[in-house]
Amino acid sequence: MSIDWITVAAQLANFLLLVWLLKRFLYRPILKGIDAREAEIAKRLAAAKEAKENADAEKQRYQQQYADHLMIRDNLLEEALESTASQREQMLQAGRDKLEQEQKNWQQFFEQERSEFQMKLQYSGAETLYELVRKALMDLADEQLENAIARHLMRRLEGMHKDIKAAAGEASKQVATVTSHAPLSDKTQEYLQQQLQNYFPNIKVDFLIDTEQAVGVVLQVAGARVAWTLETYIDELQSQFAQQYKANVSAGSLL
Amino acid sequence: MQLTPDDTIVAVVLGFELSATIVNTWIVMAVLVFTSWLVTRNLRPDAPPSRWRGALEFIVKTIESQVVEVTEQKAQHVLYFAGTLFLFIASANILAIIPGFKSPTGSLSTTVALTISVLLAVPLFGMARFGFGHYFKSLFKPSWFMLPFNLIAEFSKAVSLSIRLYGNVMSGAVIAAILLTIAPFFFPVIMQMLGLLTGFIQAYIFAILALVYISAAITETPKSKTRN
Repeated sequence: MSIDWITVAAQLANFLLLVWLLKRFLYRPILKGIDAREAEIAKRLAAAKEAKENADAEKQRYQQQYADHLMIRDNLLEEALESTASQREQMLQAGRDKLEQEQKNWQQFFEQERSEFQMKLQYSGAETLYELVRKALMDLADEQLENAIARHLMRRLEGMHKDIKAAAGEASKQVATVTSHAPLSDKTQEYLQQQLQNYFPNIKVDFLIDTEQAVGVVLQVAGARVAWTLETYIDELQSQFAQQYKANVSAGSLL
Repeated sequence: MQLTPDDTIVAVVLGFELSATIVNTWIVMAVLVFTSWLVTRNLRPDAPPSRWRGALEFIVKTIESQVVEVTEQKAQHVLYFAGTLFLFIASANILAIIPGFKSPTGSLSTTVALTISVLLAVPLFGMARFGFGHYFKSLFKPSWFMLPFNLIAEFSKAVSLSIRLYGNVMSGAVIAAILLTIAPFFFPVIMQMLGLLTGFIQAYIFAILALVYISAAITETPKSKTRN
């Protein structure tokens, strides 16, 4: 066991050289590398944290947008439902109105049809009756219906000639007009002229034929008018029918 | 039987005899430096570390943590010094398992050289930390007549460090040689494995003791704290 001081010096130099070499090739690169990697990791962590924060913010923003869209959708849906309900109600109301109007129109049409049909029926019935009466009169009494009508008219005039005279005034001295649907016989015309002379002396009687007029005789003295026509007869008949109809409805017999 | 590699002359260059101690020291140095250069030549912070780089980082960070733990401060120069002590001694002892390779730490000259380096480093680090006057005054504490005892204490540190390392490494080699003659197949293998362990532990002890001495020199005492 001996100490070689030259070797000691050489080993001391070797050791110091090794310290420098390892500092140059080992410690500094490794520590720098660790620091750089730590810095890189810290940078990446910071970037990741920032990215996460951004992602969180973005997520929150999208969630907010989603919630907003949901709310808008709900509002739109609610508005659409309300609008639909409103439109439905309007359409239903329009349908009801239209139906009611159509019912009214139909009722009106039906009433009109009924009225026209009733009118036609009445006229037809009246004409048939008229022809029947005419024929019966001709067959049984050998007399025209117009003559009977004229006599009937004169009988009515008998009770009201004073009123007519008062109403006609001075014009009664001038002319009386007898209008018929068909020409009156001479006998009937003479009869009417005699009867009117009795009530209204010096009166001039004109006989006119109006085919548009209903069957019957109309006497017009100045402003006064006395008539018996099939139309007035039908009006009376219609009035009687209406009264009978109302009576039956109130009694519930039509139900 | 040669107990120390100093006795083995490998070559004579320009009249100087190159012993196995010096040549093997150069081999250990070459292995350490070449390995370090090979691993650290292309370091990129964005690339994951290789296995070799990871291993070196582990070694360096472990040494650094030991330095910080003992000195209670992050002193990089201490790391370079103590780390090199540990790596050199450990590498030399590990390489001793190669047949024909004698560890340079088995030479008393090497251990003395390492001890001298520690003895020089301790005051140098202390002076670098607190200045020359402060270190010089510490030799006279607690009183001036303690100077010889302080000097003896410093010298004894060197003796204990160097003899401990030398004795352990050399004794390991001697025991292995003796056992080789007694039981050539079984015991030498076990002793070599044991030699690896003790060599590693000796490296650790040497480096830690050096760290402790340096730490005592660079750490603020309560009095120096008050003075500062």
